[in-house]
Amino acid sequence: MTVTNTRSHSRREFLRLATGLSGWAVAPDAAAYPSWMPRMAFAPPGVEPQGDILVAIFQRGGMDGLNAVIPHGDADYYHLRQSLAIPEPASGNDNSGIDLDGFFGLHPALRPLKDIWDAGSLAIVHAVGSPDPTHSHFDAMDYMERGTPGEKQIATGWIGRHLQTAPWQNQSPFRAVGMGGIMQASLRGPVPVTTLQSIANFHLQGRTQDLARIQQTLASLYGQGSPIDGTAAETFSAIDMLAGINVSKYVPANSAVYPKTEFGMACQQVARIAKAQIGMEVACIDIGGWDTHKQEGGLDGELPKLLDELASGLAALYHDLGDLSKRMTLVTMSEFGRRAYENGSEGTDHGHGNVMFVAGGGVNGGKVYGDWPGLAKDNLYATGDLVVTTDFRDVLGEIVQKRLSNPNNLAQIFPDYTTWNMRNVVKSAT
Amino acid sequence: MAAAYFSLCIGIVEVATDTMPPQISRRQFVKASGLLAVWAALAACQPRNLLNGPGSTATPAPGGPTATPAPTTATGTPAAEATGDDLLAHVLRRLTFGATPDMVDHARSLGVEAWLDEQLHPEHIDDSQISPLLAPLTTLSMTPAERFSLSNQALPGQEIILATVLRQINSNRQLFEMVVDFWSNHFNIDLSKDTCRILKTDDDLQVIRPNALGKFGDLLSASAHSPAMLVYLDQAVSNKNVPNENYARELMELHTISTAALFGPPDVVGLARAFTGWTVVGAKGQGGAPGSYIFRLGLHDDGEKDLLGLHLPAGQGEADGQQVLTFLSQSPFTATFISTKLARRFVVDDPPASLVKNLAATFTSSGGDITAMLQALFASSEFRSSAGLKFKRPLEFFVSTLRLMGAQLSGPPNALAGRLRQLGQVPFQWLMPNGYPDVSAYWATTDGLLNRWNFGMALANNSLPGAKVELAALTRDAASAADVVDLLATRLTGAALPDDARAILVDFASSGDLGKNLAPIAGLILGSPHFQVR
Repeated sequence: MTVTNTRSHSRREFLRLATGLSGWAVAPDAAAYPSWMPRMAFAPPGVEPQGDILVAIFQRGGMDGLNAVIPHGDADYYHLRQSLAIPEPASGNDNSGIDLDGFFGLHPALRPLKDIWDAGSLAIVHAVGSPDPTHSHFDAMDYMERGTPGEKQIATGWIGRHLQTAPWQNQSPFRAVGMGGIMQASLRGPVPVTTLQSIANFHLQGRTQDLARIQQTLASLYGQGSPIDGTAAETFSAIDMLAGINVSKYVPANSAVYPKTEFGMACQQVARIAKAQIGMEVACIDIGGWDTHKQEGGLDGELPKLLDELASGLAALYHDLGDLSKRMTLVTMSEFGRRAYENGSEGTDHGHGNVMFVAGGGVNGGKVYGDWPGLAKDNLYATGDLVVTTDFRDVLGEIVQKRLSNPNNLAQIFPDYTTWNMRNVVKSAT
Repeated sequence: MAAAYFSLCIGIVEVATDTMPPQISRRQFVKASGLLAVWAALAACQPRNLLNGPGSTATPAPGGPTATPAPTTATGTPAAEATGDDLLAHVLRRLTFGATPDMVDHARSLGVEAWLDEQLHPEHIDDSQISPLLAPLTTLSMTPAERFSLSNQALPGQEIILATVLRQINSNRQLFEMVVDFWSNHFNIDLSKDTCRILKTDDDLQVIRPNALGKFGDLLSASAHSPAMLVYLDQAVSNKNVPNENYARELMELHTISTAALFGPPDVVGLARAFTGWTVVGAKGQGGAPGSYIFRLGLHDDGEKDLLGLHLPAGQGEADGQQVLTFLSQSPFTATFISTKLARRFVVDDPPASLVKNLAATFTSSGGDITAMLQALFASSEFRSSAGLKFKRPLEFFVSTLRLMGAQLSGPPNALAGRLRQLGQVPFQWLMPNGYPDVSAYWATTDGLLNRWNFGMALANNSLPGAKVELAALTRDAASAADVVDLLATRLTGAALPDDARAILVDFASSGDLGKNLAPIAGLILGSPHFQVR
């Protein structure tokens, strides 16, 4: 492909809208991206986007937090999980938990996260979750993504409302990115979202000589008042922006190796978009398969495979971003945890309290946050679940307030939530 | 047809090919949003349910409130019921995977009501052309034992996907295929779970298809005895020691009474205990034919149970589960839930309460007769005034494109499989037990639109391996650029395009050689907003 005069047209567009970029200025990958690419496009003068890039990862199906971050200091854990429990940390034994603080430990499959923990950039919140008692995947996911437990009347998602209320503007089509073909419910709201599977494939295909005319005609067909005109315009806008990015062979930095799975590739795409400096503020990634009712496995099985994939993807993203990771906050969530006791099929049924991981340069890492409710029979919730002692909104709200520079709008982003109990998981942005 | 078709693999996406994207001129295309003009060619009413683009605040939420007012026009008056040719076009678009010219002619000659009646009785519709298409798919007629002994264990799953798509493309029983698709999602089974790829064949052929237009209670009972379902939701590994709750929960939440019934953890536990012993004979055939349903008393919790206000006395054995199934199939919550989902499938994303109530009453009075519910649905004013209000899901887009373009499929069409995966809706590959979403909020995305544009254009250009189209033959009767646009638009969207869209395409078609423009014109129509609705 050649550079045509269309590019100078694009450039004019960019320059017209581009402004002071200091807030997000991080040295771009000069080799990979053309010099004309704006460092931070589209914000109007004086109000460029502030704060970190948010990467929100949803583990669909209900992660077993009790086996991901094991409470090895709680003897009841071993009583409740005769076949699934992870052995207490033992130095030199790779088949035991990885001690974090003398009480909690990582599942050995999460070893790729240990470096980030040691560097003080990974925090864990335990016994965290939604106060709503539902054990329905779909209701629980819905509540968490809306940010409104027990409430379905508010149609938008918590990230959508953050973007809606943030005190700046950003017209980049990559402001909000949903990885995969389907848009995550947390992103719903008035701010347009680009969903994509691959930036290298995000372009119109066809005979080269026809493409310009075809795109022009398609755009006209989507300018006649159809309800999806906005989505189409967003798509053209994203196509045009990516056309200016060199998407030839990508080599992750710092020897990062992404898992060759849908999740791993999604993490890699997010890193590439972040490095391209095209205005991404939030990215959502899904990873499914956590509904481990059977053959969950202690050291080997369904859960360890997923934990390895999760940790490898997160670690690759973190390391690949290099210095940019200092301006990224990554948070994981899952709709609920799993039953404290295992069932008769070497699995666990739907539970309540769970674990969230928070990673990035602005994280008060190296610590497990929360109040441990214990796993003794009388301390369990409903039919035998881990109690929730930290509301997931305390974690997300603190990130919005301190890392995403949107401190004054929590009442809109998490409506009706007033009993805030933030744990100081992240640092105030400087 | 090669059995390697749809060699789909879950969890592993094709890594992006690292090629430079073409440079395309940036156009002024961003129009002021909020101009909610009517889809003039498609519907007489405001497409309220499609206002789910990321630019809209009026995003209806899946699982959200289902009771909304009936659709209205842009001026706020109640939408008019379609009549005459408009009604025919609406019915054909909504109830088929694309109405071919032959089907349109047939329906027009019968009249709408008679055509609906015919489609609701598919056994009266000749479908003999399907058999030779499915003949190469040998695993469809195998016993589970034979499928278990195949060296290629992925083959049965690939073939049931292919059979499903081939039927959707080629069957004359179009409504039946739509209803089969509905129930296949309602009773979702993901092929990637354990032996589901071996057992789903039987679920499709012996559970879903024979009962799709029958009594809901029969369908529910067949599903509860379906080995693929029992494996998928872990019922097959449950036992009396600590019962597995997966099937018990979803049987209530997703198959019957829904969370609206406000059941609680004790109900889940009670139901899980009631179903202990409902399991599947393994590949080794212990106690029965491999891959068949079996009740194993030794696994059954024979104590008394209380759930959902039911008391199950001790010692009932297998009858516990049967009693629960009968109870669930007759619950008014089930009537409302199934009615809501059928209305969402065939009318609008957020169905009006009036329609749901009407259908639920039919469910109850007819003993859960699915055909009777569909008759009531298709006769309703809500249905008849909903033209153009449903956004095609990716599978509907994919199948209608191939079907209406008259694509000849040949060879090992792995490229087609990859495209369907990229579009995002391969049958039987939805991981979660709720089935593929049926609201446009999930599907009307940037990635979704781009993949549709590229798929339609690639097919029109004959650059999709495994699919061939003859555009010159389809447009043989066209004498001018305008004729080509009208002919293709009518064939593909079931109606003439509105004037503005038509003018845009005629302008395109008039520039340069018309013969060379055929493919891009077809691709543009397939990519247009008018082809994305049903």
